Amino acid sequence: MPVQTMLRALRSRLPLVAGRTVAPVAAALLLAACNPSEFLVVTDPDLVNPADVQSAAGADAVRLGALRRFNAATSGGESFLVLGGLFADEWINGDSFIARQEIDQRVVTIENSFVLGASRDLHRAAVAAQQAIPLIQQYVPGAPGWQVAEMYLVQAYLENLAADVFCSGVVFSTVENGAERYGGPLTTAQVYARALAHADSGLALVTGTTTNDVRVRTALQLVRGRILLNQNQPALAAQAVAAVPTTYQYLQFHALTASSNNFWNWSNNTARYSVGNTEGQNGLNFATANDPRLPTCQGGDVICRAISVTRSNRDDLGTPFWAQRLWTGPETSFSVLIGAEARMIEAEAQLRAGNAAGALATINAYRATVSGLTPLTDAGADAARVSQLFRERAFALFGRGTRMGDLRRLVRQYSRPANTVFPTGTWHKPGGSYGADVNFPVPFAEQNNPTAGAGVCLDRNP
Amino acid sequence: MSRMRPLARRLLAGLAALVAAAPLGAQTTGGVAGRITDAATGLPIGSAQVSIIGSTAGALTGTDGSYAIRGLAPGAVTMRVLRLGFAEARQPATIVAGQVATVNITLTAVPISLSPVVSTATGNQRRVEVGNAIAQVSAAELTEKLPVTNMGDLLQGRAAGVTVFGGMQPGAGIRIRIRGTSSLSLTNNPIYIIDGIRMEGATGSSTVSVGGTTPSRIGDLNPEEIENIEIVRGPSAATLYGTDAANGVVVITTKKGVAGRPQWTYYTEQSAVQDRNNYPTAYTGWRTGTTAGTTTTRSNALAAFCTITQVAGGACAQDSVTSYDLTRDRQATPFGTGYRYQHGLQVRGGSEAVRYFLHTEYEDEDGVTMVPQFDRAFMASRNRSLSAAQSNPGGMAKFTTRANLNVTLSPKAEVAVSSGYISQDISFPRSDDSGTPGIAANIYGGPGFRLNTTSTGDTLYGWREFTPRDIYQGETTQQVERFITSMSGNFRPASWLSGRANLGVDYISRTDQQLCRFQACPNIGQDRLGFKIDNRTNFFTYTVDVGATATRSLGATLESKTTAGVQYIRNTFDRNGVTGRQLPPGGVQISAAAVVTGDEATSESRTLGAFVEQNIAWRDRLFLTGAIRSDRNSAFGADFKTVFYPKLSASWVLSDEDFFPKPDWVNQLRLRSAYGASGVQPGTTDAVQFYSATTFRGEAGDVPAVVYTTLGNRNLRPELSAETEVGFDGTFWDSRVTAEFTYYSKISRDALISRVLPPSIGTGATARLENVGRVKNAGVEALLTIQAIKGENFGWDMSFNGTTTANKLLTLSDLPSIVTSSTLQQRAGYPLNGWWSRGLLGFEDKDGNGIITYNADQNLSEITVSDTNVFLGNPLPRRELVMTQGFEFWKRRLRVSAQLDYKGGFQVYNNTERIRCASRNNCQAMFDRNAPLFDQARNVLVREHPSRSVAGFIEDGDFLRFRELALNATLPTEWARALRSRSLGVTAAVRNVGILWTKFSGVDPEAFGTTGDAPSSFQAFGPPTYFTFRFTFGF
Repeated sequence: MPVQTMLRALRSRLPLVAGRTVAPVAAALLLAACNPSEFLVVTDPDLVNPADVQSAAGADAVRLGALRRFNAATSGGESFLVLGGLFADEWINGDSFIARQEIDQRVVTIENSFVLGASRDLHRAAVAAQQAIPLIQQYVPGAPGWQVAEMYLVQAYLENLAADVFCSGVVFSTVENGAERYGGPLTTAQVYARALAHADSGLALVTGTTTNDVRVRTALQLVRGRILLNQNQPALAAQAVAAVPTTYQYLQFHALTASSNNFWNWSNNTARYSVGNTEGQNGLNFATANDPRLPTCQGGDVICRAISVTRSNRDDLGTPFWAQRLWTGPETSFSVLIGAEARMIEAEAQLRAGNAAGALATINAYRATVSGLTPLTDAGADAARVSQLFRERAFALFGRGTRMGDLRRLVRQYSRPANTVFPTGTWHKPGGSYGADVNFPVPFAEQNNPTAGAGVCLDRNP
Repeated sequence: MSRMRPLARRLLAGLAALVAAAPLGAQTTGGVAGRITDAATGLPIGSAQVSIIGSTAGALTGTDGSYAIRGLAPGAVTMRVLRLGFAEARQPATIVAGQVATVNITLTAVPISLSPVVSTATGNQRRVEVGNAIAQVSAAELTEKLPVTNMGDLLQGRAAGVTVFGGMQPGAGIRIRIRGTSSLSLTNNPIYIIDGIRMEGATGSSTVSVGGTTPSRIGDLNPEEIENIEIVRGPSAATLYGTDAANGVVVITTKKGVAGRPQWTYYTEQSAVQDRNNYPTAYTGWRTGTTAGTTTTRSNALAAFCTITQVAGGACAQDSVTSYDLTRDRQATPFGTGYRYQHGLQVRGGSEAVRYFLHTEYEDEDGVTMVPQFDRAFMASRNRSLSAAQSNPGGMAKFTTRANLNVTLSPKAEVAVSSGYISQDISFPRSDDSGTPGIAANIYGGPGFRLNTTSTGDTLYGWREFTPRDIYQGETTQQVERFITSMSGNFRPASWLSGRANLGVDYISRTDQQLCRFQACPNIGQDRLGFKIDNRTNFFTYTVDVGATATRSLGATLESKTTAGVQYIRNTFDRNGVTGRQLPPGGVQISAAAVVTGDEATSESRTLGAFVEQNIAWRDRLFLTGAIRSDRNSAFGADFKTVFYPKLSASWVLSDEDFFPKPDWVNQLRLRSAYGASGVQPGTTDAVQFYSATTFRGEAGDVPAVVYTTLGNRNLRPELSAETEVGFDGTFWDSRVTAEFTYYSKISRDALISRVLPPSIGTGATARLENVGRVKNAGVEALLTIQAIKGENFGWDMSFNGTTTANKLLTLSDLPSIVTSSTLQQRAGYPLNGWWSRGLLGFEDKDGNGIITYNADQNLSEITVSDTNVFLGNPLPRRELVMTQGFEFWKRRLRVSAQLDYKGGFQVYNNTERIRCASRNNCQAMFDRNAPLFDQARNVLVREHPSRSVAGFIEDGDFLRFRELALNATLPTEWARALRSRSLGVTAAVRNVGILWTKFSGVDPEAFGTTGDAPSSFQAFGPPTYFTFRFTFGF
């Protein structure tokens, strides 16, 4: 065979081949041997290395980064504050994205990209806050207590929000010293408990009286009250928020150079969200109620034009297009937490305690602080009083991420059928009906978490 | 410094010794010179490669067929001559010291031949010695004879296994896939080598969005400057190109000078460009009580509409159904006739010592998108106008020039300098997938009647919301200034030893700009407040490539060749971007904006590789090659240092064996096989853990902050692809039939999978690259060329170029499937980027009313839908066949050729029809009960079924396209002389004649954006048709 013949011939001449092979090979080896690492060192100026945050200034930059993430997880992104309102009755869909329509229709798939995006924003902020705490404690031991407390606030707020919008089975993981530590699925009750613990940790740290101390402590009190209410402990919730002034606001600030107000962006600017108006039979008339707490206008009308909303239709060209006038520009700040919620919690506690008159008085006292509102009258029956209270909450807290949780509470704590509180029946666009979801599924992406069971809802209960 | 001095002295001493050695050697050597001519005609043959077997010596013939090789050791040698179109010739010669022997050799023409020499990482090599099939594209010939306007035209359908996705607008980029896709998360682009150095070939090369139409840097090249392109298809052949070569290598050789008197060539091309595609008709069903289409009505005023499912459900009754296609309305259509012209001048010539090629060209193209008549009338009535650039927003102007110089320094040394400059300005219309303000979105999205109106009552002529008078005010441009310069040296210090070096840089300066003036552009968001984006990017790709080859004849039967080399590649990317918002009236500069934000991005990658290759040839019929390459790269993880890529190949000219029963009809039959590995390197920052800087808006204003971005991966290593290919090639029946057949199987191990990170981990990055997957690509490539008739006055030739490709993700280790998007998933056992969705399992008009409806009660529902996502198909063609027919008349003076292009076995997402049904409310299936039941079923599925599945819109993309038709004539010499030229050629050609057959119901199965590996045809224009005349004058 030619191959054998060739090999025989080759064997006899191997020394000749080897001799002439040496020259180029030796040259190549010589070049390759001259410490190749020198040719391969690259410094990327785009990056901030972990070593760069190992200092007082670095720790502070991480803390501010956590607040930046918190901004994105609330009003600086298409967060669960927005998506929860779309799922409930605060907003209706006004564009062509099927994934947004799924949310509006309450038939949310586990692959839904918007739920995934909002989920990432939520966890980014929570993990960032978690990472900032040890850095502050190590490198800025004299830092005022409110700084670490605010990091606990971020966690508590977002954990409560996650429990409000997701099914049972939410996961919290973290990264410590550069290594990931994956968590397992928690029940909704466990998530509320976790949020409460973080709120308590924060409150324990903030004891001063500076403006920042008061700002953070009050926010923690409000969040604590919100969590306790979700845990069906209205009396404790009312106790937690008793010191919160009605005029209190915890603000997120926006700027074109940092992040825009996304409520303005998704509604007034791009018309992809329109303020809801009796959506799906059960929805409230947010758009047409003429409630001074939620001023609206119809796209293109005189009022809307005054705030630069000149188009008369939604992005999908459908009408009507209702724009909100709470956040009229990209740089309008957003009050994530407001004192009115404290009054609502107190009123609910009174109502649950059988003190309907007290509840009404509390509500009306609050309404008296809002120009243009008149006192409410007693709704007469318990169920009607509950409805009245929740409507009051809905208008007072519009856009603040409580509406979806409130509708779930109506089912969970007040035993109302889901199809009597969530949008139901024929969808507002031609074709299709509302589904039966009462919460968001855990995004499919969470199944990349190696912890057993992660990424799957434990249940889809309200 | 003091340590360097002795080293420098030694180097200088060595250099002096080498220089001194040359004249000493010259006194003891001889040479050979002569002419190479055509055996049949006696005419000289230029550009033939003459070499001395068993040594590194050789030369190219000049235009007069002459050659000279000097510096040869005395003794008997065998000469070999290779030239495309001729059979290989050998002739013995005797070299006498101090003399130059005269050896004239004649070559015999063969009807069809593949180029006998191919480029490899170790230098040029005879095709028969290489164990791989390397595809070649003769650019010089194609550009002269066919309607080739860009690199996409040049490569599309020319080589088996090479799929080219072309752009639909002037300046739009092309995307090349060789043997399918094998990388899930990294680029599937091949690498590009031009005249020995690496060049940038990125797709999607733009930082401002106009939808899917983005340039690719390979598109910058001018086909007129290219002599030849070789496509090294996979790792088995690309091993020695190192990390990054797993997706194949495109080796480009530009034109070179030929010894002889100067040959001037002037050419011009004049093309008319038209969009001849059929765009979908819009439908509207009118609710009883409304007046169908005769009254002005707001676009998509749903209250007036009545869908057929609403009719079936009794929610409304239809008054009538109207339909309208604005592209067929002369007043409304945005399509006109574009114009492209090109003027080029080149000269090549020189002497045996110095040869040159100089070229310069200017090209200008206006696209087919125009301002519709109604818009012009509207603007005229309001005393408004658009600038010239705005009136025809799709255009390109390109200036290229090249100077190539080959200098023979001595019989033992040559230097080649290759230098090209490209300057181009591209303006892009907002077409493919460019969202609400895009042209296509507004053409596809309008209602089924003409008199829809804006909110202020202006008639839209069926456009959805915005029309070109506003859309075209947005100006998007890209300016590119590019230098590609290389220097190659060859040095042969001994007859058995040669050295080579390639040094060069590819430099690109790219400026992307987008401008909307104050109170201009569609009323979207805050656009009409004015904005400008100005992003400036510099790209540098440096190459240092040094190698040496030692050859040795080991007696009468064995020849040995050993090559070793070192290569250093450095890529840098450096961008500064700035955006200005809120411009004053008249303000067009960033400095005029009220709000300015800036950003900066830098990345750099460095690769250092070395290789050794050993070739053994036995009796010039069996060739064995073994090689190994090692690479280190700056992007590898800290815990990973060096990667090794092995290679083995064999080529056996079976027909030369004595035992081979060689029938008369077999001229040559060769078997070949190769195994090799190569890699794809990760991104420059994929391995490291880092934070990113950001800005936080606090109560007191903006403050700097950092956010945790990514986990990194210390163990990151390159994706390793190993490929085996086997095949044969042969020539038959007096070389009138040439066949090539190859089977390949490529496994990408350690596939870099962009592993989705669970949201709970809280990193900014949503994924992390990990070496966890395994991907297989396997297929068959076949090439058959036939000279059916070869007569004096008539010839007929044909070629068939076929490919099958099967792609499969073998494993994702233990990871769950990756959901890339709502329609794309990565699942083990299925192709990469497979289409997935809840499946439309069936439909039936149960109540016989001619309308398909959905009901939550499955007994009443007329569609059946799967409970889970199902696999819907492959994203890339699994079968491709290119058929070329050529007819020649009157001594080849007139040639007519046609190319048909078939692609099959893949699915295209008709995303345009999806959005028309799901959101734009204008598809036929929504309103017209005469719509096919399947169309109704998919409409109901996407609109009314809770899954909102788009499965019905994932369609078979199979098609047969009449790609090009060309008539090429060499006019009589007298005619040329009358025009004071040496020769005159004329070409009349049509490119993209049309689709002859397709299963796809959308505009065109190739009409989708130029990025990504899953063809989603989303609000994109179809490919235009070019009608071209070319005149080539030789002086």
